[in-house]
Amino acid sequence: MAHPRVDAIVEQARAAVAAAQSSSDLEAIRVGVLGRQGSLTQLLRSLGTLPPEERPLVGAAANVAKRELEGLLDARLAATAEAERQAERRRRRLDLTLPGRRPPMGSLHPLTRVHDEIVSIFAGLGFSVVEGPEIESDYHNFEALNIPRDHPARDMQDTFYLSDSTLLRTHTSPVQIRAMLDKKPPVRIIVPGKVYRRDVVDMTHSPMFHQVEGLAVDRAITMADLKGTLELFAREMFGPRSKIRFRPSFFPFTEPSAEVDVLCFACHGDGCRVCKQTGWLEILGSGMVHPQVLKNVGYDPEEVTGWAFGMGIERIAMLKYGIDDLRLFFENDLRFLKQFA
Amino acid sequence: MKIPYSWVREFVDLTLTAEQAAERLVNAGIEVASVTPLAPDLKGVVVGEIEAVERELGQGHGGYPLFLCRVSTGREHYSVVCGAPNTKVGVRAAFAPPGAVLPGGRRIAAAKIQGVESQGMLCSERELGIGEEHEAGILEVPDARPGADLVAELGLDDQVLEVEVTPNRPDCLSVLGIARELAALTGARMRPSAIKLAESGEAAKSLARVRIEAPDLCHRFTARVIRGVTIGPSPSWLRARLRAVGLRPISNVVDVTNYVLWELGQPLHAYDYDTVADATIVVRRARADERFTTLDGQERVLDPSMLLIADPQRAIGLAGVMGGANTEVTDRTTRVLLEAAWFAPASIRRTSRALGLRTDAAYRFERGADVEGLVTASARAAALIAETAGGTIARGVVDAYPRKRKAQHVRLRMARVKRVLGVAPSPTQARKVLTGLGLAVTSRGADLDVTVPSFRRDLSMEDDLVEEIIRVWGYDRIPSTLPGGAISLVTHPVSLRQGQTVRRALVGAGLAEVVTYAFSDPARAELLRRPADPKPVELMNPLAQDASLLRTHPLEGVLGAVSTNVRRQQADVRVFEVTKTYVQTGRAEPGRASLRPPSVEAGLTDPATTEPRWVAIALTGARGEGGWSGAPEPVDVYDAKGMAEHTLAALGVRAGSGDAGGLSGFEPDCHGTLVTEQGEVVAEFGEVAAALRESFGVTATVFAAVVSLDAVGAASAAALSYQALPRFPAVERDLAFVVGAEQSLTAAQIESALREAAGPLLRRLVLFDVFRFPDGRSSLAWRLLFQAEDRTLTDAEVNAVQERVVRRITETFHITLRSS
Repeated sequence: MAHPRVDAIVEQARAAVAAAQSSSDLEAIRVGVLGRQGSLTQLLRSLGTLPPEERPLVGAAANVAKRELEGLLDARLAATAEAERQAERRRRRLDLTLPGRRPPMGSLHPLTRVHDEIVSIFAGLGFSVVEGPEIESDYHNFEALNIPRDHPARDMQDTFYLSDSTLLRTHTSPVQIRAMLDKKPPVRIIVPGKVYRRDVVDMTHSPMFHQVEGLAVDRAITMADLKGTLELFAREMFGPRSKIRFRPSFFPFTEPSAEVDVLCFACHGDGCRVCKQTGWLEILGSGMVHPQVLKNVGYDPEEVTGWAFGMGIERIAMLKYGIDDLRLFFENDLRFLKQFA
Repeated sequence: MKIPYSWVREFVDLTLTAEQAAERLVNAGIEVASVTPLAPDLKGVVVGEIEAVERELGQGHGGYPLFLCRVSTGREHYSVVCGAPNTKVGVRAAFAPPGAVLPGGRRIAAAKIQGVESQGMLCSERELGIGEEHEAGILEVPDARPGADLVAELGLDDQVLEVEVTPNRPDCLSVLGIARELAALTGARMRPSAIKLAESGEAAKSLARVRIEAPDLCHRFTARVIRGVTIGPSPSWLRARLRAVGLRPISNVVDVTNYVLWELGQPLHAYDYDTVADATIVVRRARADERFTTLDGQERVLDPSMLLIADPQRAIGLAGVMGGANTEVTDRTTRVLLEAAWFAPASIRRTSRALGLRTDAAYRFERGADVEGLVTASARAAALIAETAGGTIARGVVDAYPRKRKAQHVRLRMARVKRVLGVAPSPTQARKVLTGLGLAVTSRGADLDVTVPSFRRDLSMEDDLVEEIIRVWGYDRIPSTLPGGAISLVTHPVSLRQGQTVRRALVGAGLAEVVTYAFSDPARAELLRRPADPKPVELMNPLAQDASLLRTHPLEGVLGAVSTNVRRQQADVRVFEVTKTYVQTGRAEPGRASLRPPSVEAGLTDPATTEPRWVAIALTGARGEGGWSGAPEPVDVYDAKGMAEHTLAALGVRAGSGDAGGLSGFEPDCHGTLVTEQGEVVAEFGEVAAALRESFGVTATVFAAVVSLDAVGAASAAALSYQALPRFPAVERDLAFVVGAEQSLTAAQIESALREAAGPLLRRLVLFDVFRFPDGRSSLAWRLLFQAEDRTLTDAEVNAVQERVVRRITETFHITLRSS
């Protein structure tokens, strides 16, 4: 099978492989012999120029030689590459306890986290998000919500005024009015947003904070539906063991009205520091939409009923994350923010 | 409002403890903030009588002389040093003998004062922890027996409920109201009223006249006359009660009016009868700029919206708010004219707010007093005055009642109860609840006809009764269900989706989100304001001058956050905020509403403002966290620009470099914009102007970017669409051009010419190197990637394009190709 021209190439290649020092040497040999311009390749390509009787002999020998050299090169290459990797590792002396090179980590504000969570829970229950302006008319913020001028209920929310008839909204409830004026029932919305009260900043008060308002109006909607919906919310937000209770309260735009407490998730009702020994945490205000409010937006309270609730996002976030000072949310100290990365 | 539990029990027969009563109230919507013992830690304090003042010992702390007194407790006698101004022989006062304990665990022992031993201490209200009074001296208990236990004597073994009554329940602003509520909640019986009214002599009608000239503001005015009174201190029990509720005892007649106010919720006023001209009361509006001096000695300027009590000659009281100095009951008063009236709530509230005069009386009138109940209150007060100040009560009452209250009837359909609550008690149960609350109920088929008493002004319609039923029957009886009805598509506004996208992108890029106050400082607004800008939105009643405006510039919030962190030793700050500015538009918009019931048309005006939405980004310090493998580079303007580009990319908006920006607050020579193909400016970036950051106390350089979410929303993102991946290999070529030091040529200009010259085979163009020579020339190097969709490109083809590009660029811009 052998052929002198082939043998010469093979001999030379074997010697070169034996003498090779590195994988790049081996790679060079591969190119020199088996590459497109390689000696063996050239030989095969020139078969046509040989006498016809020699062609099969040289061809067969060359193919055998090609396989042999490929095998030889691969084996040497594998051994050399492994040796080289080891040498490289030794050279680098890796200390894998060094910290990794991380991309910078951003952080979502805790109020955004809670906001998103609330929105997604209620979206799952079929509530669409509606937003409204922070600078509001007295009409939308108070009058239409059954809080006339010169009514003591206005004391419940100390207000920043811009003029006699405009103000910074004190709650997200004016968006209820806007939404109902825009659309016939059924209505099922939640309204997140900033609200303002003229309160001096301290651990539990802030002149600006965030609320989420919920509103459902339909032909047959009851306070029992409100309770069921909020119970579901509480379980999603605070865990499957959550319970809620309703307490009578007063809001001018709902009748009946209820404060809603959630069973303290720190002590499960036994009483602890978080719930000030009461076993319950107040989380939101709610009630059936006052018939006068329905009339104010042109709905017929005999045709439809509805309920609404409003909760403070800061309050929920404080409870959820164990934050004891409201001011932290607005100071934006990175050491605080990065805890919510 | 403080409600002593013992007082409540005078009205209702309760077996509950104070704590239990409080819980019942809370469960029915009457908030009870606390239940506290009246005198939690007083032990061994008794009534002591000063038998003798033996000698003066010099000046004490209060500036009064110190005396050595002999104090008797009946059986025992003590030597006591006392420096109170009312130290006098015969005075009976609170006395803590050695061994007694005062608030704060202060145990009394014999002690040397000015070299003399004092065996115990005569105490003031404040020292006893039962009131604020101290300057007036030791607490006198004139009618008590020496040696008697002070706690028992003053009724201090009591619990006080601190109730917080919502504005709809003025009827609960009294001991009677709380008692009535507890009776309804527990089924306990109210005790019958025990007013012993001994009237005699002339009829009140012949002694006094009442004329109401403003019946819209005063529905009822009654007057009683008590003659022959002796003004003096009230008896101990009365003073103790007032102290227990936080009121300061003054004199018997005044104390009685306060007492009855607390007990029955009806504000009363006592005039010195002899100072009222013609014994005639005129209830009228104030004249413009009429001046009047109230009891507190302040002269007030009034206007015709305010209601006055007057006599034929002059004003004598600010109706429902405060009496006048000119007719005040004094030590010399012998005849009293007692007012019990009903004033229109809104008017009282306006007056009280306009004058900044918030009184217990105004508080109740503005919430609504009981127009029928005031007659009882008047009788109760008259009887107590006679009891505590002597005198005789004239027969009858002068009763001007021009606007007689109409009976309030409400029909309650049991079906409505079920419809609203999702559950309903039986009609019998409902009836029992309403009757318990003092409402008159008759059945009408399945429904109830209800008559509402005058003290429940809050119950005017059917759903009010629904609430009463469930409030008493129990909110825990409401079951939990989920709303039914048709399912409709959940939709979210663009702004919400934009916010979420931006947050995801920027948090992913390593920025921290901040949330900041929308308030702004006028000094800063002035700094940021350009001549054509509208006036900032201003608060009429800001909390502080430096927070009296609403934000006019989107960067104010993030710069505040930078400032906070830099001051707290955190020099590397990379933050963003999804935020708003607030802008006057100068004209009120008609309200947006597709449905407009005629009833609200008038109110439907939107404020003359807009609230543009922005993403604001601020960067200072290092670009990354840094670490063992090398210090990170400081941020520069290209980081700010990159964040803006990243934000826009996340929002699906294509934008390129534009001209100088329009926002203030950037350094003029480091301020760029990003514009869409339509020429809309969607972002601005640059170095924050030194004056601006210095106004935040930041000395380090800050780079910032703002993206207008409104502009972005208008530039609506192109719909995503797949493009086939290239099937043929690409050819890469690098080209570097040298721009002369004097040439004002931007990378964007060259790049756009490059693209044009290269034609459709150019798939990607990346500026990969910018280098400045020492002589001021710069080299800009681009990598060009050529690729055809239908074939493998040949070198010759690419060479031809490259030559075309080089020729075009060098000839157009007069710059040279940098030889490698």
